[in-house]
Amino acid sequence: MKRIRGWLTLFLCILAAAALTSCSGSSTQRLTVDKTRNIHMIVKMNRGDYWNTVKMGAEAAAKEFNVKLTFKAPDSESDVKEQIAMVEDSIKEQADVVILAASSYMGLAQVVDKAAYYRIPVISVDAEVGSARVTTYIGSSSYKAGQKSAERLVQLLNGSGEIGILNFTNTSDKQESGSESDIDYGARDADEREKGFLDYVARYPSVHVVDIFYTPSVTAEAEELTRLMLLRHPHLRGIAALNETASQGAAAVLQERGLRSIKMVAFDSSPAMMEQIQEGIVQAAVIQNPFSNGYLAVKNAVEILQGVKVPERVDTGTKLIDLNNMLWPENQKLLFPFVR
Amino acid sequence: MPKKPANRFPLRPQTRAARRGKFTSKLASIQVILTVTLTSIAVLVTVIVSFALYNKFAKTAEENASLNMQQIIEQVNYNLGLYVNGMRNIYEKAEQQIEQNASIDSRVLHESLSTLLESREDLVSFAVFTPGGSLVLDVPSAPMRRNTRMEEQSWFNAPKKTRAISFSQPHVQNLFKKRYVWVVSMSKMISYTDHGTSKRGILLVDFNFRTIDELSKQVKLGKRGYAYILDSLGNIVYHPQQQLIYAGLKYENVEPVLEYAYRSYLDESMGEKRFITVRTLNQTGWKIVGVAYYDEIVTTKRDLNQFMRLFLPLSILCVIVVSVLLSAKIARPISRLERTVQQVVEGDLNTSIYVCGPYEVEQLSKRFNLMLQRIRKLMDQIIYEQETKRKGELEVLQSQINPHFLYNTLNSVIRLAERGKNEEVVTMIQSLSKFFRISLSKGKNIITLREELDHIRHYLVIQSFRFKNKFRYEIKAQPEVLNCLTVKLILQPIVENALYHGIEMMPDEGVIHIAAELRSGLVVITVSDNGLGMSGDALKNILKGAVKSRGGSGVGVRNVHERIRLYYGREYGLSFESELEEGTTVTVTFPAHYGDDGETVKEGAKSL
Repeated sequence: MKRIRGWLTLFLCILAAAALTSCSGSSTQRLTVDKTRNIHMIVKMNRGDYWNTVKMGAEAAAKEFNVKLTFKAPDSESDVKEQIAMVEDSIKEQADVVILAASSYMGLAQVVDKAAYYRIPVISVDAEVGSARVTTYIGSSSYKAGQKSAERLVQLLNGSGEIGILNFTNTSDKQESGSESDIDYGARDADEREKGFLDYVARYPSVHVVDIFYTPSVTAEAEELTRLMLLRHPHLRGIAALNETASQGAAAVLQERGLRSIKMVAFDSSPAMMEQIQEGIVQAAVIQNPFSNGYLAVKNAVEILQGVKVPERVDTGTKLIDLNNMLWPENQKLLFPFVR
Repeated sequence: MPKKPANRFPLRPQTRAARRGKFTSKLASIQVILTVTLTSIAVLVTVIVSFALYNKFAKTAEENASLNMQQIIEQVNYNLGLYVNGMRNIYEKAEQQIEQNASIDSRVLHESLSTLLESREDLVSFAVFTPGGSLVLDVPSAPMRRNTRMEEQSWFNAPKKTRAISFSQPHVQNLFKKRYVWVVSMSKMISYTDHGTSKRGILLVDFNFRTIDELSKQVKLGKRGYAYILDSLGNIVYHPQQQLIYAGLKYENVEPVLEYAYRSYLDESMGEKRFITVRTLNQTGWKIVGVAYYDEIVTTKRDLNQFMRLFLPLSILCVIVVSVLLSAKIARPISRLERTVQQVVEGDLNTSIYVCGPYEVEQLSKRFNLMLQRIRKLMDQIIYEQETKRKGELEVLQSQINPHFLYNTLNSVIRLAERGKNEEVVTMIQSLSKFFRISLSKGKNIITLREELDHIRHYLVIQSFRFKNKFRYEIKAQPEVLNCLTVKLILQPIVENALYHGIEMMPDEGVIHIAAELRSGLVVITVSDNGLGMSGDALKNILKGAVKSRGGSGVGVRNVHERIRLYYGREYGLSFESELEEGTTVTVTFPAHYGDDGETVKEGAKSL
């Protein structure tokens, strides 16, 4: 009896002590960075300034939020199979979050569902994927970007003339599976840009889109297609290129031929493209925010892991760059992110 | 005699009283009081000391962190200053060479500038422009791009307003067809000689921004802390997250920074506590701003906090354990003592206390044990005395029904009957019967003196028939003494003694005087005879039981003496006076008591 009371006293004292010490805890902060997160980022391609900038943004966020970032990308934008395999690997490696820039809207859908099944949140960045299980999409609206491109090109052509479009897709895949089913295995952003462009141009009766070519992401092929387009349509007054490789291919051909009469609106920035703009070969370029995309994707991933509610879509916007604004300080950083 | 004398022990009722107050007394036990007191004091002291130390350490750590950060920023400032000085030297050298050279397009000048360019890795280009914007000289030579829009750029416009070297913000150099390079441009109006005529132009020296970038990038202030550079107008020259700032994802509160050239302060405008340290680079007016996250840079504080959270409960636990053990150690002997005393109170006198513990407790235990021993001894003594008493009485009683005595008496009766002395036979039988009745007294040990005297009278009547006219007797008693109580059968052995030893052998008639009186609260009974008397030796031995009556009851006067002493105390009993041939006087003394109950008297006697 006496003994029991003794232990009871002891227990109460410990409780009191515990209560005393627990008050001295520090205040909570918005994002805890004590724990290292394991985040996998899979993008369309392992080269190109655009994806490098996405990676840089992701790395900046990784450093800030104590994230171990695993960056993966296939050699080509059209390699859907490789990308699926990479997502599979990430599921196997039990990544905390998978950030995905899908090469194919439908092609990656199944594997994303699989990741969701294993309770791995998937964030899609830059290009959407056809799965309802995607937690959030971060990137610019491709439809709006397409419209922006069309708006400028129409303006440059003073509202009349023939336009050729150089878009991108994963041709090889399309050919393989196209015969068996009607599923669109193309990249969502390519389709959306094209749709946005065509919808805008449809308002102008004297502007005609005479041809749309699709290139896999290889500059040489884009050049070939441009030459073909110029050959087919001698009265062509404007070219819209809807991604980086297509733009570079088209611009190279225009420069090579010295065709100052053809106006061109490019897509995505690269120092080479800036040179073309400064030289006056390309009149404008629609610029996305690859750095912000990468950064925000990782930041949102960390937020998801901490149970913070994130918006379904984060629109990082697009910008139209031309000779006038390319040297504005805020645009310089966007266009030339690398200090060399 | 009951086996357990303790059952009648008078302390018993107190046990119940003690039990009634058990709950309150237990809570107020020494162990609980000690534990609570020790624990609270120790915990209080530990907590106070810990918190005082914690605050002191934390403050020092904070100051150190702040100082450390200031030193880092100071260092960056110094390095940047050195670097900018180096840039300035290069610029001045280039300016000197251009001004001193006879012609702006001479090979010599071109070569010396090329050498200068190669001397430093971070030097990108030298160029001289006319105030109108046309290129006069460029090293290394490269075709100009179209659409440079140089008249919009700060390096081109600044020299027109100031005579000092102006530093541009880092920007992408778009002048030459080579590549786009991030540079810091230095520019100033200089004079040069072109084909013999002195002209004024703008000397542009581009430095790769990489060096400044790297210089600043290396600054690590905690895990997330960083440094950034502002120009005098508040434009960001360098920021590790410049991209995010331009994209509107990050924001830097530069207003307070711009107000001061040299300052450290705590900023909370970003929702988090941050240490901001500002230093200004004199040559360019740039401000180097160090940003450290408070919770991070003060890791010592956090470590300390963590340590305290671990240490405090542990030490409090230790304190509690120690105080519980200590109080148990102190209280254990006392509670053991208490338990033993309780046992004793409940009647178990055969227990004893284990003597150990602190001095006081040890002494207390020792003395308690001594006391217990004493009590046991006394109890034993009481038991012994009681037994002796009963044995004595039994002996006396047995002596009454001694066959020898009875035989003699009955013989006398027969003889009287034979002689036809019926009256005497009746007297004899009557006395004998009364003699036995009083002897038995319904088992009582204490009777009145009246009864005792009656008893001895009947005895003397019986004996007088036996010792025909051999003696006469006289019994005198004060009336007030008759109601006094006495131990029964004390006179018969004395009288028997007197008869058999004093008078039987006497040739003359013997006389036995029995007198009882009160003398200052004492009952004094004297039995005197005029018999043979005793020698001094016999007198000495008589109370030792050495003298045995011959033909008597077999119970000595010693038995009487002892019984009186057992009942009343050692100072009472018998005393003898005797002289040979003169006679013996036995005096019985015991305190006077009145009462109608033998038991009461016994108790009363005990209490004396």
